[in-house]
Amino acid sequence: MHELSMAQAIVDTVMDAAEKNNAQDVLEVTIEIGQLTMLNSEQLKFLLDVIIEGTLLENSEILIEEIPVEIKCQSCDFKGEANTEGSDHYLTIVVCPECGGRNLEITKGRECNVKNIRIEKVDEDA
Amino acid sequence: MHKIADVEIQHDIMVANRKLARRNQRIMDQNGVFSVDVLGAIGSGKTSLIETLIDHLEHKVGVIAGDVISKYDAGRFESHHVPVVGLNTGKECHLDAHLVKHALEELPLENIDLLFIENVGNLICPVDFDLGSHLRMVVISVSEGDDTVEKHPLIFQDADLVVINKIDIADAVGASVEKMVDDVKKLNPDVQVITSSLKTGKGLDEILAAIESYMS
Repeated sequence: MHELSMAQAIVDTVMDAAEKNNAQDVLEVTIEIGQLTMLNSEQLKFLLDVIIEGTLLENSEILIEEIPVEIKCQSCDFKGEANTEGSDHYLTIVVCPECGGRNLEITKGRECNVKNIRIEKVDEDA
Repeated sequence: MHKIADVEIQHDIMVANRKLARRNQRIMDQNGVFSVDVLGAIGSGKTSLIETLIDHLEHKVGVIAGDVISKYDAGRFESHHVPVVGLNTGKECHLDAHLVKHALEELPLENIDLLFIENVGNLICPVDFDLGSHLRMVVISVSEGDDTVEKHPLIFQDADLVVINKIDIADAVGASVEKMVDDVKKLNPDVQVITSSLKTGKGLDEILAAIESYMS
């Protein structure tokens, strides 16, 4: 269960960007989570909502986007989105959609990316 | 007046860990250190296996002992007269590249050519965290149940070497070793799977040979 440490790292990243941009409030935070990470988006969101209390992010909306798995197949050279199965365990097993091979290079799907934030700041031009 | 602004961040926390992992590997390479990340279930025999390997390998071994409380395992390794750094993860369920970076700073790398990094007993969380090791060895045992592999596919898909331990008690716990081997092969067709019993010594020569071949 490493959602808490990841949540803290996300908040630190957002706070850093918010301060650099002189934000007075953070309205929205968009995070991308790869389907292949061991992070549970629901748990992550719950923990984020808890730890942002009392911070600049307190009233922000947290949006989590899931990133599908992309592969390069070592057997048939297929490049693109992988077939994923394994819903029995809520885990993703990656298979090449072309040849069914499992000898794959994962090119996407392991992200925990703080993509962007929407902030409110003083309009210096006004 | 206030205005609303969108700020692009694009900071991937996983990438940050992977960058640190690559740096760890560079530091080890510069010092001629080959490292093995030893992952696996709680009680599967990771510590005992590393202890046995220390006694049988002709290398200058060092160990990073990662655990929620690391002093117990660290103490076991110290009794084999090798340099050890204990890493307490506290409430965390895995080692990460940042913790390993600090452990590397404490170890006499010039006197080590094989470094074992014992991860926290866990088949889930360590998957996300590359440490910069050269080899990922996953250790499980029959006593976790013969459905362990199919329940934790990702760690086996990422493994370079898989050890299925305690096969001497497979019948007693009603586990099929063949099923466990087949399940690993289904997920990762090219990976070497070694069935072992540290108690009887079965499989030890194969594990020693596998590590030697990766090092050469």
